[in-house]
Amino acid sequence: MIHRRPPLLAAFWIACATVLVVIGVGPALWLLVISLQPAGANMTSPLHALDKGVTLDNFRQAWYGGDSAANTQPVLLRPLLNSVLVTFARALLNVLIAAAAAYPLARMKFRGRGTIFTLILGTMMIPEQVIVVPMFRTIVGMGLYDSLLAVVIPMSVTAFGVYLCRQAFLAIPDEMEEAARIDGAGSLRIWWSVVLPLSAPTLSTLALFSIIGSWSELLWPLIVLQSQENATLPVALNTLLGQFSTNVRAAYAGAVISLIPVVAVFFVSQKFFRSEMFAGAVKG
Amino acid sequence: MARRSHHPLAPYAFLLPAMLVLGVFFVGSTAAVGWFSLTRYTAFEGPQFVGVHNYERVLTMERFWRCVLNSFTYLAVTPAIVVLSLLAAMTLEACVRARRWLSLLLFLPVVTPTIVGAFAWRLILSEDSGVFNAALAWAGFGPVPWLTQHPWTLVSAMLVTLWKGFGFYMMVFSAALLAVPAELKEAAAIDGATRASVFRHVTLPAIWPSVALVFVVSSISALKVFEELYVTVGGTPIESQTIVPLLYRVAFEEGQYGLASAIGVLLFLVILAFSLINSRVSTALRKGGRH
Repeated sequence: MIHRRPPLLAAFWIACATVLVVIGVGPALWLLVISLQPAGANMTSPLHALDKGVTLDNFRQAWYGGDSAANTQPVLLRPLLNSVLVTFARALLNVLIAAAAAYPLARMKFRGRGTIFTLILGTMMIPEQVIVVPMFRTIVGMGLYDSLLAVVIPMSVTAFGVYLCRQAFLAIPDEMEEAARIDGAGSLRIWWSVVLPLSAPTLSTLALFSIIGSWSELLWPLIVLQSQENATLPVALNTLLGQFSTNVRAAYAGAVISLIPVVAVFFVSQKFFRSEMFAGAVKG
Repeated sequence: MARRSHHPLAPYAFLLPAMLVLGVFFVGSTAAVGWFSLTRYTAFEGPQFVGVHNYERVLTMERFWRCVLNSFTYLAVTPAIVVLSLLAAMTLEACVRARRWLSLLLFLPVVTPTIVGAFAWRLILSEDSGVFNAALAWAGFGPVPWLTQHPWTLVSAMLVTLWKGFGFYMMVFSAALLAVPAELKEAAAIDGATRASVFRHVTLPAIWPSVALVFVVSSISALKVFEELYVTVGGTPIESQTIVPLLYRVAFEEGQYGLASAIGVLLFLVILAFSLINSRVSTALRKGGRH
């Protein structure tokens, strides 16, 4: 503490914090409010937005894809499950593949180590948006077009993940590994039962970043998915917006449905959200 | 380091999955995009070499230059991101006790799927029933065509980018601010420096490398913007959008893979220039800041 903070300054920072929270949380909160409104309610004034009460009707419409009694198929259920599946698979693969690649890069001596590491880091320079056409053709060539694997496989590892894991593995003391080796453990065994558990916080952070990224992704799924039954949530929401041009509140309700799981995951795993991660994160 | 203890092929076995995925999808695609850009290649016919024909076509395409101009206009979001995220990081530093919760709350837009953020902003910016235009009307101004008219459409998408991005860069600045030695600030304060001059002469020079880094990184992601435009103002003419939406349109709605690849290569060159500036600037700053 430099010297006692004058009250005016304290008030200034509290005002800043308040305004920032309104900017940060306001739009999503407003989305929630509007999606709870009955038809014809006030959409322009936060003070009168809930004058007509709240309803779950929009959520019902979004979930079942319409308001007629004939619609009893939950149309958002499939995209929700697809998104959960894709997100889970990608987080798991991202951690496993990156941690596998990072192990020899951090802890073994072998020919080509420097070159391979440079090559892997080099892929960080290539923006996905630039290479979507050949990536799309490769997926088509592999026969994976319009399948969830097409969304999972190309993004199942990132150079950033390898870099992050390597940093964590470098910090593990040699003696830990030596002790296991003397006990007769092979490389795979050491990696699985010594290196991975010791790096659990980093691996969890990597998983968290991966979850946030895949849950949000729109461009790539839009390119490689076509049929409704394979749509992920963002793709389904994009369709929903066109579908509900008469009742936009239903589309907004759909957006709220897709926001809830990721926010829940974020708050539950917030202990893996550490500011130190961001010193290196910008490199990606 | 354990030298002779592992099988000589073990390192390669561990590396294989990552090398396969990155090799096929990133390295392979980078080579392929270069090749495709030199071919006539559409949804209906395979690639045939045509030299630089696609580049000639792209560079004489009016909508390409419109989109390039819009992409550069979009870069205006960068200074706004730097200012807002630095202010947020300083607020975190000042509000010691609320720090953790404040950082979690301000990070929520980063966690929010872009399409959900874009929905929320469409709602706020809606021309006849949005909060912004209602507030403008209350203040005596006419409605602004946020979602339908260029260049307001760009401004709207930029608002989404700013909103979605500032929490991330806030954390970057927050890490940088934590690394500023407290003794330096105290020494300056004891010497009679005001808070403003401590910030100006101690804090700012210390975090300058991060400012430069955030500037370049957020510029690069501004050049790559797609989802904000596609969802927020996707219905507007492509001429009023930016390069990646144009690439998407040409490739996946018009099926002109060769032409789209040429656009991709040109975009890559621009981004590469920014990355080179990035590494130059950050090495220079790191060397300059270490004494």
